[in-house]
Amino acid sequence: MEKSVEKYNYRSDITIDWCPGCGNFGIVSAVTQALTDMKMDPTDVVAVSGIGCSGKTPHYLNIAGAHTLHGRSIPYAVGVKLANPKLNVLVMGGDGDLLSIGAGHLVAEGRRNSGIVVLLYNNAVYGLTKGQAAPTMPLNEKVKSIPRPNILDKINPATLAMASGYSFVARGFSSEIKQLSMLIEKAMKHKGSAIIEILQPCPTYNDVNTLDWFRKRVYKLEDDKTWNPVVNDKSEEEEKFNKGYNLSLKWGDKIPIGIFYENNTVPSFPERLSKIVPDYIKYPPSDQDVSDKDGYTIVDPIKTFIEKEIE
Amino acid sequence: MQETDINLLVGGPQGGGIDSAANMISMAFSLAGYNIYGIREYHSNIKGRHSYIHFRIMHKRPRSLKYPVDIMVALDPDTLFEHMFDVSSNAKIIYDTSFDKFELKNARMITSDTMESIRNELKSRNLTMDVHGILDYFRSVGAIPIAMPFDKLINDYVPEGPATRYYNTLGAGTTLAILGLDIEHANEGIKYAFRKKPSVIDSNLRVIKAAYDYVDRSEIKPEQLKFYPVIPRMLLTGNDAVAIGKLMGGLRFQTYYPITPASDESTLLENHEDIKFLGNETKNLKKGGLVIVQCEDELSAVNMANGGALTGARSATATSGPGFSLMAEGISFAGMTEIPLVVTLYQRGGPSTGLPTRNGQSDLLFALNTGHGEFPKMVISSGDMEECVYDAIKSLNYAQKYQMPVIHMIDKTLANTMDLVPEIDVKKVRIEKYKENNNHENYKRYNLNTDDGVSPYGVFGKDVFWMTGDEHNELGHVTEDTSVRDKMMEKRMRKLITADKEIPMEDRAVLYGDKNADITYITWGSQKSLLLDAIDELKKDGISANLLYLRMFAPFPSEYVGEVLKKSNLIIDVESNMTAQAAKIIRMNTGIEVKNSILKYNGRHMTIDEVIKSTKRIMGRELEMVVLENGS
Repeated sequence: MEKSVEKYNYRSDITIDWCPGCGNFGIVSAVTQALTDMKMDPTDVVAVSGIGCSGKTPHYLNIAGAHTLHGRSIPYAVGVKLANPKLNVLVMGGDGDLLSIGAGHLVAEGRRNSGIVVLLYNNAVYGLTKGQAAPTMPLNEKVKSIPRPNILDKINPATLAMASGYSFVARGFSSEIKQLSMLIEKAMKHKGSAIIEILQPCPTYNDVNTLDWFRKRVYKLEDDKTWNPVVNDKSEEEEKFNKGYNLSLKWGDKIPIGIFYENNTVPSFPERLSKIVPDYIKYPPSDQDVSDKDGYTIVDPIKTFIEKEIE
Repeated sequence: MQETDINLLVGGPQGGGIDSAANMISMAFSLAGYNIYGIREYHSNIKGRHSYIHFRIMHKRPRSLKYPVDIMVALDPDTLFEHMFDVSSNAKIIYDTSFDKFELKNARMITSDTMESIRNELKSRNLTMDVHGILDYFRSVGAIPIAMPFDKLINDYVPEGPATRYYNTLGAGTTLAILGLDIEHANEGIKYAFRKKPSVIDSNLRVIKAAYDYVDRSEIKPEQLKFYPVIPRMLLTGNDAVAIGKLMGGLRFQTYYPITPASDESTLLENHEDIKFLGNETKNLKKGGLVIVQCEDELSAVNMANGGALTGARSATATSGPGFSLMAEGISFAGMTEIPLVVTLYQRGGPSTGLPTRNGQSDLLFALNTGHGEFPKMVISSGDMEECVYDAIKSLNYAQKYQMPVIHMIDKTLANTMDLVPEIDVKKVRIEKYKENNNHENYKRYNLNTDDGVSPYGVFGKDVFWMTGDEHNELGHVTEDTSVRDKMMEKRMRKLITADKEIPMEDRAVLYGDKNADITYITWGSQKSLLLDAIDELKKDGISANLLYLRMFAPFPSEYVGEVLKKSNLIIDVESNMTAQAAKIIRMNTGIEVKNSILKYNGRHMTIDEVIKSTKRIMGRELEMVVLENGS
């Protein structure tokens, strides 16, 4: 496709129907900003979402988009990525989608390290079903949409991502668009799988963790010039992991945002596959001929399965 | 000389080398020019429980198994008890002399229910509850027990031991010697069975020698076996055959979560990700490898396969009943968003965990109705090795051509059948791809301007488009517009009408045998070959039968099936389930009620003897429905 990536509008013309003041607007801005800065060819990037308010995001972007099933955005994204590793694949999912119904996939992706970028929208509520508590809402928190204080405790997404083995773990805030777009760009350039937890207000249902509540608490890790979470050598791994892990746990009056951990020494799944299938990157599953000019198979069943043959 | 037709059973503890023995016997006989057909039966267990292989060996290709067996090898005492009812009146039964002191009460791996029927039989004959009792039983029915000192023989030839490791080879070797196969073939069998463990070949060859020497010195008179020229064949199971077909059919992305009896297919493919291609005519083509992903669960497997398909790669997954239940939502999504997805469904005994390692055909109606909402899907079924290969190619074709999920059904019996398959024809089935999109500028993924319901298929990486499990417009954006909804529903369903018109009848339903036969069998899946054998057997008794064999359940070949059945006389539905599901589908589509059935739901494969016996009972109007009970 011939499209000028200089002037490309990454926003589609679909009317956005999120509530006024929703944190998702900031996320869309940060994503389009990152794509613009990277001069991304719109056919080289795919947005994959699940269900919920976050799930609508791909429709608002002028790039290929798959709005899939509740909880299953990561399997879809991994399918796209491993069948065509040249694509940049962004997952856009809510806290309920990725940490409740889809939590198994979120954890499994850490050890798979396929090279997808997971944007985890964290507003502590299920917005589209009228504000039930999400897995990120703390114990005893009472927001206006729930009938009694939350009886379940919370998961810390960044900490879970660290424990699951993601090789890039960050936290952003939907109103810090410049930083968020920088995080997205870095995550997209990272070879392995990346996850960015994005703190955001839900102005309709969450009257505790409001825009002001976040503004008062967040601070940027990169403001400390000595902060260096990047592992380029295995010898730094343990120390930097521990620092990032402990920092990800911090919550309360001060909430860190920025990159907790970036490990460039973990081979991505495509790199691991290339060792078994030599031409995997050159001719991935999406870009292979499967038949000859007459339409017949090109696979030699005897040579491939020689140990099954008897002569 | 009467044509060789040997039914052989080798039983022993799971993990005791039954597979190696089976591979060795198959290879040895195939090198002597014979064909073999074998089915493996096992428990959901890694080590210890009873497992066995039942083989039939003939020069012409056997298509079914027959009880009672002519020769049985017991690698443990349990085998003698488990199969007491399975031997013929002059069967040879090979066992270890050390079993002599074994008492039935110590056969802890025999389940209590089976134990009870064994006890009752021995008691009714006033026999002792031990190996002596069971041997007396065998002698009383005319069988010939052959005791061999397993440990002593092995220790003499392989002093380094441990002897227990070689019971399987000794048992298999003795069988071959008694059946009259020469030792060279047996040795080749060993080299094949242990081709991945070369260090144990030498010791196993010595055990073969021990077996042949023993039979030589004993009073046993080996059979006279004729040898035939050998043609190239592949020793395949149904799992293998599907794997080969998928790879030939252009599969390049497969996902799976481990489950019996499906995962053997995926692990075989995992072992062949680096594909070998045909010669020169493919020189300038883009050739890469296969990607297999072992997923965290079946939810991931089905949806990851869907994701792979969005890039244009031919994608599939393979599972069994419990995993298929989890996949239902992903299949509905594939239907709604028109993703070419192939799901190979290996059926086992249900419901729930059911009989995880046993046969069943109880998922037909579930496959047909799986996934919420109304959407087009295809359901096809294979019944023998060749169909497994070529149907796997066709499944991938149909999925891309009609942009819908295709469920390819195999039953456990077929998945675990060992069969020597003549050369696979690489030019039998053409590969058909999706209708490509050429309009990249203004692409509408769900273009409604189509007569056959099939819109051009854009792919991620080449086209910008959207897709959603919500009802959508031509661009793939969410809509709840009433008229677009109707048009989209109709467009999707129209693809099934197109498929119904385009796919030839021989791929959907086939009538085998004499059109005007007295009996018309109906079946699907692994009973196909068995019933073809049954038709031949019945002919010898002057009974004419034919078989209406079903291969495609959606879209269902209603007209053809209706025509055949209207002209039929006595119709007997044969299925491995309790509720005669194929017969229900026939009634739903044609209005014809099939009253007679032969059904089996104990988890074991049907054998030809019980089917013929039941047919005669139905013919004699003794019963309308017979439930089969063979199997251990």
